[in-house]
Amino acid sequence: MRFDGDVLTIDLSMTMEEIREFEQFIRPRIEYVETIDVEEGSGLASSALLALLASLKRTRRELNIPFIERGRTASPVYGTLHWMCYD
Amino acid sequence: MTKQEQVKAIFIEEAGEIIEKLDVDILRFEEYSGNYDLLNEIFRGVHTLKGNANAFGFTRLGEFVHHFEDILDHYRSTKEEIEIHNLELIVNSVDVIKEVMECELDAHPELPGGYGECLERIKHLIAAKTGKTRAAVPEAAPEELRDLASEFGIGCAEAFNETITRSIELHQSIREEGLRLYRVDLTLDNDAYKRGFDPLGFIRLLNDNAKSVESFFDLENVPSLEGFACDENTLGRVVCIVLSPKTPAEIAENFEFLFDHEYAVQAIEPPVVQVPQTEEKPKEEARSSSKPGGESSTGGMSASKSTIRIDTFKLDELFDSVGELVIAQNFIAQNEKIHAIEDESITRTIETLSKITKRIQDRVMSLRMVAIRDTFDKMKRVVRDTSKKTGKELALIVQGEETEIDKTMIDSLSDPLIHIIRNAIDHGLESSAQERLAAGKKAEGTITLRAYHKSGSIVISVSDDGRGINKERVFQKAIERGIITGDENLSDSQIFGLIMQPGFSTAETISDLSGRGVGLDVVKTSIEKLRGKIEIESREGEGTTFSMVLPLTLAIIDGMLVRSAGEIYIIPTLSVVESFRPEREIVHAMKEKGEFVSLRGQHIPVIRLSDVFSLPTERIEPWEGILVCVETEAGRIAIMVDELLGRQQVVIKTLGKSLARLREISGGAILGNGDIALILNVDELRPLIEGPHAGN
Repeated sequence: MRFDGDVLTIDLSMTMEEIREFEQFIRPRIEYVETIDVEEGSGLASSALLALLASLKRTRRELNIPFIERGRTASPVYGTLHWMCYD
Repeated sequence: MTKQEQVKAIFIEEAGEIIEKLDVDILRFEEYSGNYDLLNEIFRGVHTLKGNANAFGFTRLGEFVHHFEDILDHYRSTKEEIEIHNLELIVNSVDVIKEVMECELDAHPELPGGYGECLERIKHLIAAKTGKTRAAVPEAAPEELRDLASEFGIGCAEAFNETITRSIELHQSIREEGLRLYRVDLTLDNDAYKRGFDPLGFIRLLNDNAKSVESFFDLENVPSLEGFACDENTLGRVVCIVLSPKTPAEIAENFEFLFDHEYAVQAIEPPVVQVPQTEEKPKEEARSSSKPGGESSTGGMSASKSTIRIDTFKLDELFDSVGELVIAQNFIAQNEKIHAIEDESITRTIETLSKITKRIQDRVMSLRMVAIRDTFDKMKRVVRDTSKKTGKELALIVQGEETEIDKTMIDSLSDPLIHIIRNAIDHGLESSAQERLAAGKKAEGTITLRAYHKSGSIVISVSDDGRGINKERVFQKAIERGIITGDENLSDSQIFGLIMQPGFSTAETISDLSGRGVGLDVVKTSIEKLRGKIEIESREGEGTTFSMVLPLTLAIIDGMLVRSAGEIYIIPTLSVVESFRPEREIVHAMKEKGEFVSLRGQHIPVIRLSDVFSLPTERIEPWEGILVCVETEAGRIAIMVDELLGRQQVVIKTLGKSLARLREISGGAILGNGDIALILNVDELRPLIEGPHAGN
């Protein structure tokens, strides 16, 4: 996880423990983050992170999370994943 | 074509259909901007387009459509009245979508000119609208936001289901022997993570050995941070579409440690194409009979399969085969040896065969025919845009939208039609409402778009109630441009026809719509490529009508069979004006100018087919033969033949490379007796003199 100016870059392949830490980190800082980017080449390892990112977006609509906004990702491990955030 | 390419081809076709529909719907919405059902429909199309574009890596299209969808979503969920300038932005966005789609298809690295600006305007609008919304509910509690989301989510749930249905359809299309299609619904309890289960873990298992897995996460129930805990499963359902060689039992085995209510595995059978038993069967009844198992959880997919997509190439092959069948049937029907057999049962069988062949021919022909409605719908947009650009108020009247026309022709018809319509608005109609009022007309101009059948042809006409064509001015302009010498005795239609000559334009101002002096000649060429012709009627002060006369189909031609020097030729009936045996007195020969026939004040050049094709024959005088008078792009000519054999519909066969060089021949046909006849390209039959014919 890297914080560069207003952009927070995270690794998608977080373990459950790391996701908890990320959640604790972002909760008090959500107003200061403009964008949450993902590390290039990293793949989603837990649905909990997807849910957390969706929750962040729901909490603060103007927060820019390109990964969530894209609505899909594809990998050889899972095939194609789509999600709908309703926001 | 690989399966992947096939799926991509299906996407491209569907995306094209969505965009075409979008183009029409957005215009209807502009007219009835309070119709939120229509806006929902537009939204659904855009949403599908977004999903598919992203799925196939058309990210630039995906990005644009994504933001466009946001705008539509805002208006459909708030039901806020759309401001005129924002409505214009929405309409323009559809243009950009069309252009981006083309860039994506051509893998063009550069984006269309308006892309960046339009996208920025959309983003700006979204930001402004979101700001407004937030300002209206500045302290909106998470609960209130959820209420809004759930209210809005009704439509999204539909969209979610639609996306899944589409995925099932796509997977059905790439299904191969030995593969099974499954839909797996996962609705894990809140404590799933604590029990060590994650939907992604199951998806990984499903993907093992599968040909394709596509999963959809419904994030509707994910709360805002206030109610969120990452170690609690807050995902709604997760739906996986799996194409795998595994058996249902093997698929279900993956979920053996879950509670029964947490998963559902459904094997999806291949779609069954329903063929109505009789034509009289009511549609509703036919639909219900396609769902023998009651309501299906696949969203009634099989019920919607009342039509199937067929590659037009396959249709063409089928049509060719039917053409051969017709030829073979004609051969049997006209074979003298078979006729010589005096057996009633054989005669009856041949008659039955003839009837069945005709019926098959008609049915196969009808497969290629589509209503012109979609093309006319597209023209509504052209009329609207041109009206705005020129600032002319006008009404569009559309007639005969159900007229059916060959699909191949429809594709080539749009551009000529667009040009004629723009021309009619830009130059046909008076330049201002005042000018119209001064001429005793109502301020609003009228453009009438009409399709109808006439003498075995299809006519598509564009009429305006404008100032009409100034015949004298056209004539003078044609002399100035060197198109005619001025000595010619031209009929009204021939004078009007001059405006379609290359480089001709009487427009005093050149606009980006028309008046460049190029265009109408291209329109003419395009229509002639379809074996059609353009007729112009105009009355000064009353208006002008451009009529495109087209054959019913490109595969069959209605022809007049003639014999010359022992060979049979076919003259397209569409070109034939009349045929006659001339009196000796009306035939003239001029030194170095060839033979002419005087007909109702016109001197029409006589063309001997035996000369054109250098056929050895005894030379007879024109009054001993038959003259077939035809209309060509250079005026009328009289084709001299020995005998008229009759009129017949023939299946057009392309010629080999060596014969294709003969400009005077446009194709060949096999006659009932097995003989081959060449189809004449009358526009290329040149008399000894060049330039417009029918001169004094």
